[in-house]
Amino acid sequence: MNLIEVKNLSIQFGGLTAVDNVSFAIKPNEIFGLIGPNGAGKTTVFNMLSGFYQADHGEIIFNGNTITDLKPHTINRLGIARTFQNIRLFKGLSVVENVIVALQQREKHTWLDSLLETKKFYQTEKILFEHSIALLKIFELDRYKNHLANALPYGAQRKLEIVRALATQPKLLMLDEPAAGMNHSEKAELNDLVRFIKNKFQLTILIIEHDMKVIMNICDRIVVLHRGQKIAEGVPLDIKASPPVIEAYLGKRIT
Amino acid sequence: MIRMIQISRWTQALIFLIGFLILGIALHFFLNSYIHAILISFMINAIMALSLNFITGLADQFSLGHAGLMAVGAYTSALLSKELLSDHWFFIPLTVLAAGLVTSFVGYLVSLPSFKLKGDYLAIVTLGMAEIVRVLILNWNSVGGPRGYNAIIKFPNFLLSYSFSVFVLVVTFVVLFRLKKSWYGRNLWALNEDDIAAEVMGLDLVQSKRNAFIISSFFAGIGGGVYAHHLGYISPGSFSFLISVQILIMAVLGGLGSMSGSVIAAFILTILPEVLRSLPTGSVDVRMIVYPIILILMMILRPQGLLGRMELLEFLRSKNWIRS
Repeated sequence: MNLIEVKNLSIQFGGLTAVDNVSFAIKPNEIFGLIGPNGAGKTTVFNMLSGFYQADHGEIIFNGNTITDLKPHTINRLGIARTFQNIRLFKGLSVVENVIVALQQREKHTWLDSLLETKKFYQTEKILFEHSIALLKIFELDRYKNHLANALPYGAQRKLEIVRALATQPKLLMLDEPAAGMNHSEKAELNDLVRFIKNKFQLTILIIEHDMKVIMNICDRIVVLHRGQKIAEGVPLDIKASPPVIEAYLGKRIT
Repeated sequence: MIRMIQISRWTQALIFLIGFLILGIALHFFLNSYIHAILISFMINAIMALSLNFITGLADQFSLGHAGLMAVGAYTSALLSKELLSDHWFFIPLTVLAAGLVTSFVGYLVSLPSFKLKGDYLAIVTLGMAEIVRVLILNWNSVGGPRGYNAIIKFPNFLLSYSFSVFVLVVTFVVLFRLKKSWYGRNLWALNEDDIAAEVMGLDLVQSKRNAFIISSFFAGIGGGVYAHHLGYISPGSFSFLISVQILIMAVLGGLGSMSGSVIAAFILTILPEVLRSLPTGSVDVRMIVYPIILILMMILRPQGLLGRMELLEFLRSKNWIRS
């Protein structure tokens, strides 16, 4: 049983076929890598999976539901969360509020409670606050709780984005280049972090990454895209040795 | 602990209300009707600015047609009290409420096409809506057309009309303030900051914006109703594009997203032109030069508005002017 199944996915922008007939399937509790040279269509695949683009052809089946034409917020409610290549936090909100916004989409609120400041209003606010602090604590971000999100150091912002995605209680977490802009020690830390998240929250993770060290270390399986087409799929060792992948990254050997 | 805070808050509100009433009685006896009229129009302006600030400041959706919504409210309330409720002043609160409901329905109709697209389309749609409303009224003979709608029932004395306006203003303020501080306000801030990220968090953008606009329309309609029964005369000219802009200036000057800022800005911008009347009016009306200069200066000195996003108390605390 696959958690998510992508079948013959294609999308065109004008005359350009950004993603061409791509299929793959991810099993539960897997760390799945999506790699490829610049412009291969990785982020486009992400945008289709999270509902920002509508695929021209093909189908996406998540957990038994066809989600191909659903809106981003519905897809999120079904259990897919993602982060962005260029960090998208709610910059003017505090760190804890960033997490609360994600959490409260699952809470049942009534308008009347917040208008009349009833007991229930304070209770819900308290629960949301404590829940988000608990989440932040896991990632050692609780010391920043009252800082504005854009005042955080870069690595912490990346982490906060992951925390916020986790707060929506996903089954599948999609990370778009989480190591971008990180130094060596931060990258090593990221490795541990991704594994830790997977085990702690029983998640399936789909990850786009440019850094081969990171990808080869943490992924169970990898799909390689090149110019919108899938050129290889398999475990990291096979991918490393696969001739079409080497060709896509380095070019043809001169004979 | 929480219960104690709540009780003290209600007591605070009571003290506040009694204070307002005593002030009203004092004003009733000691000031002339010119000042009375300015006071009430300040409160109407504040209601309108609050209403606009909710959709523009919090949800970041520009509305350029609040005068149109105000017109819907004003004409609804005037028509109802004249045609249905046989001109009794004690029905005014009822007709004003009805005006709010009718206007929020109009707001709902406007929101149907506007929020399917991202970006500042609401500004264009509301601009068109305000013009449509104005032209409709202009050609509607039974409400006076261009001559205006006359002899709308008013409150019999200043004290009543003052209390009613204060009541409406306080309710508007409290409701919008509470909504801003609630989960819903947080949703609106989030989509204001980054709508794509908000969507990925599972937030329904269209629904949130639509609700915000309907709430905003409701209070704009209420403001229009109060306006109609304050002046006793309304015409299509009272709800021109300039009025929309004036309301926008108040919301921006007070600080987009700051409810108390809107009230303060409405106060300043209602009083200022009247205060400037004392300036010489010879061959040049100096007032017309000074007023815009003051506005420009304020925008240069505080581009984020008087209070920015903060409420009055938060603002004073951030400046360390009062203890937290």
